[in-house]
Amino acid sequence: MKPTVTWDAAAASHLLSRTEFSGTPMRAKQLATRPLSEVVAVMIEEAKAAVPPPKPAWVKEPWVNTERVYPETTAMERMENHRKTGERQTRERNELRCWWLDHMIRTPAPLREVMTLFWHGHFTTEAKRMFVSQALYTQNVALRTHALGNFRDLLGAVTLDAAMMMYLNIEDSDAKKPNENFARELLELFTVGIGNYTERDIKEIARALTGWTLDAPPGTPKRPLVKDAPRSFCRDGLVPTFVKEKHDAGEKTVLGKTGQFGVKEVLDIVAAHPATARFISAKLITYFGASDPRNELRDRMAAKFGQTKGDIAAVLTVLLTSPEFFAKESRGTLIKSPVHLLVGTCRLLSLDVTATPSLAQVTAAMGQELFNPPNVKGWPGGRDWISSGTLAVRYHLPEILFDGKEPAGFEPIATDRNFALPADEKARREMIARIRDFDKKRREERKKDGFKVSFEPAKVLDGAVPEKPEELVAALAARLYLVTPRPDTLTTLTEIVRNAPPVERVKLACRLILTTPEYQLA
Amino acid sequence: MLPQIDRRRFLSVGALTATVPGFLSQTGHVLADDKSLANKERVLVVVQLAGGNDGLNTLVPYRDEAYYKARPKIGIPRTQSLKITDDFALHPETGELRTLYDAGELTIVTNVGYPNPNRSHFRATEIWETAYPDKPVHTGWIGRYFDAECRGIPSPMLGLQLGENPAMTFSHPKGRAVTLTNPSLFKWDDATGKAMERLNRVGPTDNPQLDFLQRTGNDTLSLSRKIQDALKDGKSGAEYAPFNFSQSLKVVAQMIAAEVPTRVYYVSLGGFDTHTTQTGRHAGLLQELSQGISSFVADLKALGHLDRTLVMTFSEFGRRVAENEQQGTDHGTAGVMFLAGGGVKAGVHGTRPDLSDLDDGDLKFQIDFRSVYAAVLKDWLGADAKKVLGIDVKPLPVIS
Repeated sequence: MKPTVTWDAAAASHLLSRTEFSGTPMRAKQLATRPLSEVVAVMIEEAKAAVPPPKPAWVKEPWVNTERVYPETTAMERMENHRKTGERQTRERNELRCWWLDHMIRTPAPLREVMTLFWHGHFTTEAKRMFVSQALYTQNVALRTHALGNFRDLLGAVTLDAAMMMYLNIEDSDAKKPNENFARELLELFTVGIGNYTERDIKEIARALTGWTLDAPPGTPKRPLVKDAPRSFCRDGLVPTFVKEKHDAGEKTVLGKTGQFGVKEVLDIVAAHPATARFISAKLITYFGASDPRNELRDRMAAKFGQTKGDIAAVLTVLLTSPEFFAKESRGTLIKSPVHLLVGTCRLLSLDVTATPSLAQVTAAMGQELFNPPNVKGWPGGRDWISSGTLAVRYHLPEILFDGKEPAGFEPIATDRNFALPADEKARREMIARIRDFDKKRREERKKDGFKVSFEPAKVLDGAVPEKPEELVAALAARLYLVTPRPDTLTTLTEIVRNAPPVERVKLACRLILTTPEYQLA
Repeated sequence: MLPQIDRRRFLSVGALTATVPGFLSQTGHVLADDKSLANKERVLVVVQLAGGNDGLNTLVPYRDEAYYKARPKIGIPRTQSLKITDDFALHPETGELRTLYDAGELTIVTNVGYPNPNRSHFRATEIWETAYPDKPVHTGWIGRYFDAECRGIPSPMLGLQLGENPAMTFSHPKGRAVTLTNPSLFKWDDATGKAMERLNRVGPTDNPQLDFLQRTGNDTLSLSRKIQDALKDGKSGAEYAPFNFSQSLKVVAQMIAAEVPTRVYYVSLGGFDTHTTQTGRHAGLLQELSQGISSFVADLKALGHLDRTLVMTFSEFGRRVAENEQQGTDHGTAGVMFLAGGGVKAGVHGTRPDLSDLDDGDLKFQIDFRSVYAAVLKDWLGADAKKVLGIDVKPLPVIS
């Protein structure tokens, strides 16, 4: 017999915890009064219609390279421009993290951001390697624009886009010796997945993708390049531009199809490949935490992907209305990502919060720095979120949200060495001093706004604060836990709350709940 | 930090815990004070060079014309390279490694790889970390070593990784390893700590994820005191460069010297994926590697623990022999491993790669990495290598 979904308030809470970072019991009750299909349809429509966050003030159209080197630029000017540009971009990247985090906390249509975050972990760019702030912003806009749109459109928008072109070396890949970096990740991580292509496919795609560079908008007067200057010092713009002479126009064979392919044809082929439909569906299932041991849900989603030619909203609808998603094995078994944990907590506790760079560092210390995934594969998720190190950071969350204090050890032990230091002892010491100074400034800049969070006990329980400790704990547990808490957890909480003065109780219980194993699950 | 009033209340709750028996006797507290767990056994420090280190520019075949032909722009000039044998020279920024080599404290394995090499970062890393080139498995080679050989040791941190993403090397259903980015994070006030210990007490449920979180939570809390104890003196026998990898090794040295019950440490140095303008970045990375290992060896020697410490580096692959058009190198195959410490048999193992006999532009490996693992397992850790690796492979004679 085909399993069905029991649609009730608990199921609605489960849905909200996965699609909207979290949901209050009140909202869950409201949703449960309408049919599931309608609830999901409305949720997706609202997500699609959501107003994107306003563009940060520092985004310039067209982009200006403030460290561009000209033949007349002196070495001194070059160094100074490079330093200033670095400082400015560090500031802008901090702002960018806050800009997104703040939007996630406030948006009335969180599913759009949940999906943008999904794609951010899929079509990755590491800010530690591709640090042009404006390109990071533009990529994020593309991910949000197509988050619930068409997969082929999304793939096209992120491929011929400055961030990806710089990050995976599409920029200036030359027919003479094509760069294979993007081609490999396109197949392995972005579309068909491992086992569905050969090394030959990678080489052929690399050829098809040659001939692209980043340049100023068409019509901008040309300035000569400076010989041997690194690309970041002579890039005139971030507009993807085709250079015919550097493109390999010959015939290629990609995944069994042959032709004089360029980027468009390659993306058409990989996007329409059945393995891509399965790969993306399986990744969504994992992200949303559904249990699908026999791949039946994956295959239904992949079929929908095929029928709709990659309509992401339609594929997601299959997932969010499936019996698998609501099965017992899928409930309370998703380990919250750091962003999920932080954003969900701010929303659930109705905190009055403004995202600051320090707040953005909270998720980074827990292993999920926005705009800076660990590598091109993105965040692995699941149990990989939890190690003793990241759990220790989670234990500090109450201190951050309730006391506004940053614990020690929030950043890596030290910075990375990005270049070789000079052999001369004196020059080396000077260089180290400069690096230390730069790093110190960077930390101070990040910390200068501290945390802007305030907590009002009355808001947490929508004004109705029970007097009896066990009832208070039960009410908070109902609001904050997705799993049934262990009896021991409730007894311990009650006992501690009973011994605290009434005025402190809500806050104390909340801070303890945040450190329990149960709270890490959605 | 909890408000003052709550802390007092907590302490009074603590006094009432007869109703919740034994929460103070949880593993953490026992371990923190138990000297019998002090580890005087040999330890291994695994160093991951993430991204695919360019072996040919690390250990340079400086007399091979084919090398300079394949790398006209990024080849290491003969005059600058640090010659160590008739065939090989080290990268100019690894002077400290040459000093170790000359002192008999460094072994280099060249042209090391495995059949049917994989060029995906992720699959290749998995292959090195699981030691199973033929099929994906879910256990790491050290995870299996712990399971097979260390069952009797009641340590919550047989493996300790400094870094962000848990390494597969330690993976095992009965995981015995922890990962941490910064040891300073393991500090909270007593009242909070005690409350968290009570809330994280392990009570099995029917939710495997919840049980996993309980176990890790319990380990984390028991570790916190142990780590603070190990690091509180902060004594160090050498100067380290102020960078992440070097500073991580400094922490590892302190832990080894404090005889914490850890058998295998794991530290990563990332950034080796040099597809473009490789020269400067690679030089910086190798300098960090060289200085980091050199400081670490000097430190342990000064603290009297070098004889029981072995460092082993690995990277998921080497790089393509020919440079690309953007003065970088793409993913390749065989690479170079270093082993350092008091117990190595110094020298270079393996012969010069034959650049005239390539496999579609890539090196053909000569030494299987599992023969290095076998040596580490059998000759260093005294383990049954065959049981851990699943194959009977002759250990490479790298341990004296």
